[in-house]
Amino acid sequence: MDERKGWSWRLAGLLSPAAFWLGIFFMLPLMLILVYSFGRSGVYGDITITFDPSNYLRVFDPLYLEIIGRSLAIAGLTTLFCFALGYPLAYFITFKGGRWKLALLLMVMIPFWTSLLVRAYAWVVILGGNGIANRSLQFLGITSEPLNLIFTPQAVMMGMVYSYLPFMILPLYASLEKFDSRLKEAAQDLGASRWHTFWKVTFPLSLPGVIAGSILVFIPSAGEFVIPDLLGGSRTVMTGNLIQQQFLNARDWAFGSALAVMLGVLMLGAILLYIRKVGTDKLEGV
Amino acid sequence: MEEYTKQIPQSEAKPDTKPAVKLSGVCKRFGDFTAVDNLDLGIREGEFFSLLGPSGCGKTTTLRMIAGFEDPSEGTLSVAGEPMLGVPPYRRPVNTVFQSYALFPHLDVAENVAFGLKRSKVAKGEIGKRVAEACEMVQLSGFENRKSSNLSGGQQQRVALARALVNRPKVLLLDEPLGALDLKLRKEMQIELKNLQHSLGITFVYVTHDQEEALTMSDRIAVMDDGKVRQIADPATLYELPADRFVAGFIGETNTFSGEVVDTAKNRAIIHTADGMDIEAFVPDGREVSKGEEAHAAVRPEKVRLGGEGDNVVSGKIRDVVYLGSSTQYIVETSGGERISLVKQNIRDASGEKEGDEATVAWDAENCLILGG
Ligand SMILES: Nc1ncnc2c1ncn2[C@@H]1O[C@H](COP(=O)(O)OP(=O)(O)OP(=O)(O)O)[C@@H](O)[C@H]1O
Ligand SMILES: [Mg+2]
Repeated sequence: MDERKGWSWRLAGLLSPAAFWLGIFFMLPLMLILVYSFGRSGVYGDITITFDPSNYLRVFDPLYLEIIGRSLAIAGLTTLFCFALGYPLAYFITFKGGRWKLALLLMVMIPFWTSLLVRAYAWVVILGGNGIANRSLQFLGITSEPLNLIFTPQAVMMGMVYSYLPFMILPLYASLEKFDSRLKEAAQDLGASRWHTFWKVTFPLSLPGVIAGSILVFIPSAGEFVIPDLLGGSRTVMTGNLIQQQFLNARDWAFGSALAVMLGVLMLGAILLYIRKVGTDKLEGV
Repeated sequence: MEEYTKQIPQSEAKPDTKPAVKLSGVCKRFGDFTAVDNLDLGIREGEFFSLLGPSGCGKTTTLRMIAGFEDPSEGTLSVAGEPMLGVPPYRRPVNTVFQSYALFPHLDVAENVAFGLKRSKVAKGEIGKRVAEACEMVQLSGFENRKSSNLSGGQQQRVALARALVNRPKVLLLDEPLGALDLKLRKEMQIELKNLQHSLGITFVYVTHDQEEALTMSDRIAVMDDGKVRQIADPATLYELPADRFVAGFIGETNTFSGEVVDTAKNRAIIHTADGMDIEAFVPDGREVSKGEEAHAAVRPEKVRLGGEGDNVVSGKIRDVVYLGSSTQYIVETSGGERISLVKQNIRDASGEKEGDEATVAWDAENCLILGG
């Protein structure tokens, strides 16, 4: 009994710095947003705390629902594309990378070295009406007029896949790297072709990486506002833009907070659903 | 001597049937390193065949070539009469029990065992039946729904065995399957494995570096060193008639003497060693030596007596006494500096030789064998 107590004191000691940090800089703002979301914004941006659910009822306006729905769809598709592009790449780096492994991984991470804003602007330069993509197409005689590439949902997704691909590749690499290649031999020894070996052994064992990567891509994608701002224009507004507008332009912090809470709850739900579907007991012992 | 080689108890194997596994002139090179050098093996159907040798001698490489994970650099390989060159592992009629077990951690015991059956498209009802049978055979009934990571080493070993055996392979390859187990469990599993092999009649190719394990379990053993086979024989022959100094030293303990042959008679030779001993030794058929030649003779410690009479009698000083439980080992150093090891059964007697005592040792020429090579 005594020993247990000593142990838990020590544990508390170890955890206290992190608990303190998270408490001040993570929990407090979150609580604040939660409280704001039940308040009412005054004309000058001041907030009265009212415990009034009207902000949440406003979220159910079809206009806002469409934006939230679109955000989740774009985030979901971005995750899917990142997975489709990232898995083969992570697989290649892990199993065929050889001595180039580290260099290849660094190349995956290079885009992180500049700010997201700069990278998003680069896409504006590429996709813009008079951008590199259009000029190349015209130069090659494939099109005669500039195509409408920028300010479309596709442009937003392209930018997001580009930005978040490393978040998918790195966890995938980490879980594939742990894979014991003797299991591949065992599977083949038991009559599994390469195809079966992949689907029955390699892939199931990389599921933790798939789940981690998907969540790491999905969450920031759903809340993204810089990329849709620059590449989506006024036609592809996402929830992130809406929240940003409420806080910075409309100065309606209460409604902005309600939107943020809603988005958070929806994402949590989506992720829980996803883990239930993909994970469950398959993940035990992995 | 002849007596020993004739009373071999082993072998369900039918020597006349076509070999289950045949390797002819097989070499395996990694870069300019030769791991397996010109290997010829004919493993009989239903035989318990062991590959025995020190670490790094090419046992695993040989097994991996049979399983199809490595391609021979040279030579031909066939399993059950079918040439295997270019046949991928998943199309070979062999299964492997890996040293590391290599169980699938995301599957439970039953799913692990069923893995091969599902791949070969066995009917669902049949799979369930055979999995249950296999689990029972290795005494794992009741563990079917456990995750393989929650099993003890011995249980994992059984799952690996069931997972391979359930496919009813023509040949089962086992790479030091008991290496990770403690001594007691190891002994138990040795007996279980041998019984299983006996009742199933499947050809076992068993890799081990433990000579005792190989001797107790095998019908025949190939002793390997440095990528080459030194001798292929049944356990009794290996022990009683080792082909050369390497085999004599690797299988059990031995005292070896080297020197010039000074006299020969029918099945007898006398070797004059560098430190002046004349050793009378037995010459097996086919290892004839002639006068003036350099030769080696070997005698097992348990064939050497402390004191008494014999064809060879040497005197010296007891340098070391090691109590071994059922027996005691003595190291006697001759005046010439040769150290002779002998083992004496422990019976209650008054003698009680101690370290430093003067002693004579004796053994018969019958038990002292001229070695080839
Ligand atoms: N893929 C490889 N590349 C280079 N050398 C290898 C490779 N595989 C094995 N070798 C070498 O071949 C030799 C034989 O290896 P092998 O694994 O067959 O030994 P072993 O007899 O099974 O030894 P142990 O008892 O330690 O398992 C070793 O010297 C090893 O270093
Ligand atoms: Mg080995």
